[in-house]
Amino acid sequence: MSAAAGGGDGGLRSTKGLIGRLSALFLATFSISATANSGYAIIAVMRDDFVNKRKWFTEEEMNDYIAIVQSCPGPMAVTSSMIVGYQSAGFLGSLAAVLGAITPPFAVMVLVTVFYQAIVSNPFVTVFMQGMQMGVVAMLLDICIGLFRDATKKSLAYPLLIMILSFLYVRLTGCSIMWLAIGCVVAGVVKALLVGKKVEQND
Amino acid sequence: MTDATLLFRIFVAFLRVGAMAFGGAYAAIPLVEQEVVAEAGFMEYSEFADLLALDEITPGPILINSATFVGMRVAGLPGAVVATLACVLIPCTVAITLLFLFRRFKETPLVQSAVLTLKCMALALIASTMVKLAMNAVKPDAAYTNVAHGVYAVAVMCIAFYLMHWKKLSPLPVMLGCGAMNVVAVMLGM
Repeated sequence: MSAAAGGGDGGLRSTKGLIGRLSALFLATFSISATANSGYAIIAVMRDDFVNKRKWFTEEEMNDYIAIVQSCPGPMAVTSSMIVGYQSAGFLGSLAAVLGAITPPFAVMVLVTVFYQAIVSNPFVTVFMQGMQMGVVAMLLDICIGLFRDATKKSLAYPLLIMILSFLYVRLTGCSIMWLAIGCVVAGVVKALLVGKKVEQND
Repeated sequence: MTDATLLFRIFVAFLRVGAMAFGGAYAAIPLVEQEVVAEAGFMEYSEFADLLALDEITPGPILINSATFVGMRVAGLPGAVVATLACVLIPCTVAITLLFLFRRFKETPLVQSAVLTLKCMALALIASTMVKLAMNAVKPDAAYTNVAHGVYAVAVMCIAFYLMHWKKLSPLPVMLGCGAMNVVAVMLGM
């Protein structure tokens, strides 16, 4: 079995041996899922871990994955592990990454179910969690800024319009995000078709 | 009811929850409630409310926590395994399908435009959660206003943002620091 650490410009792609890559993936999503609480927190930790520390992906690739994950149902930790795992080591990679992501919450919850009364009534735990929420707010703002820079690289008006409309949809209607995701895909396709037509006319 | 039919019912309930859970953790809670409490009658509402508190203090996605908890309470360890796998099955299939479509067509202007639009949507969803959490942190009790606590909460959020965005600290130690900070602040009586 080869070592999990890759050298040089490094990252997962240079890690030799399938087993080494799979265990690196499992350990990465395992440790992320074991320490981060909510879905967005997991995405933020994952971005920091995979982009800044391990350099498996670029910031731009990661933003693409975040957009895909946001259009999927289900826990973001799991769907993003699925994608990151597949991109790193194919189908076995996504299996290793998803197992890594679901093992910690599964194991903790099995234990917690046994002792749950004692945990829920501990005031220190509640106060600590409330404090962590403030950190989550700051983290979400950091992600938003990254996405904003990425989405407004070419033009400002159209991305800004979609952001505002989506925000209003979520805050005011309370309808399923599925319809919003479908609407966004349609809007994107229609916009590309209109722009294509304009280019043709100019030629 | 035999064990096999019970496990099958758990499987179907969480398959449905997984397929419909769009829009992050907090969107999943009403779905679990609907499937588990109202439709299947697996547990009482009071037990479900305990689950919500546990979700907050355990690591990992709320949907996984809920599935493991419900499966465990209803049918022991086999139930927990079945429920957890059921709730990720459809999301994983959708994710890999979208990834394939994205990889195959990412150079075409149509898909680039669609992904750009989805990025904007992702930003809006994240911003919406952020606003909800920030308001909750600044004013945890809707009934009365505590200005000192509000100022304190805003200050903690600004410092946390400064450390993450400009000092490039990892999110996790910053969050743990915020938690520890809050314990100290509460002990000092804020």
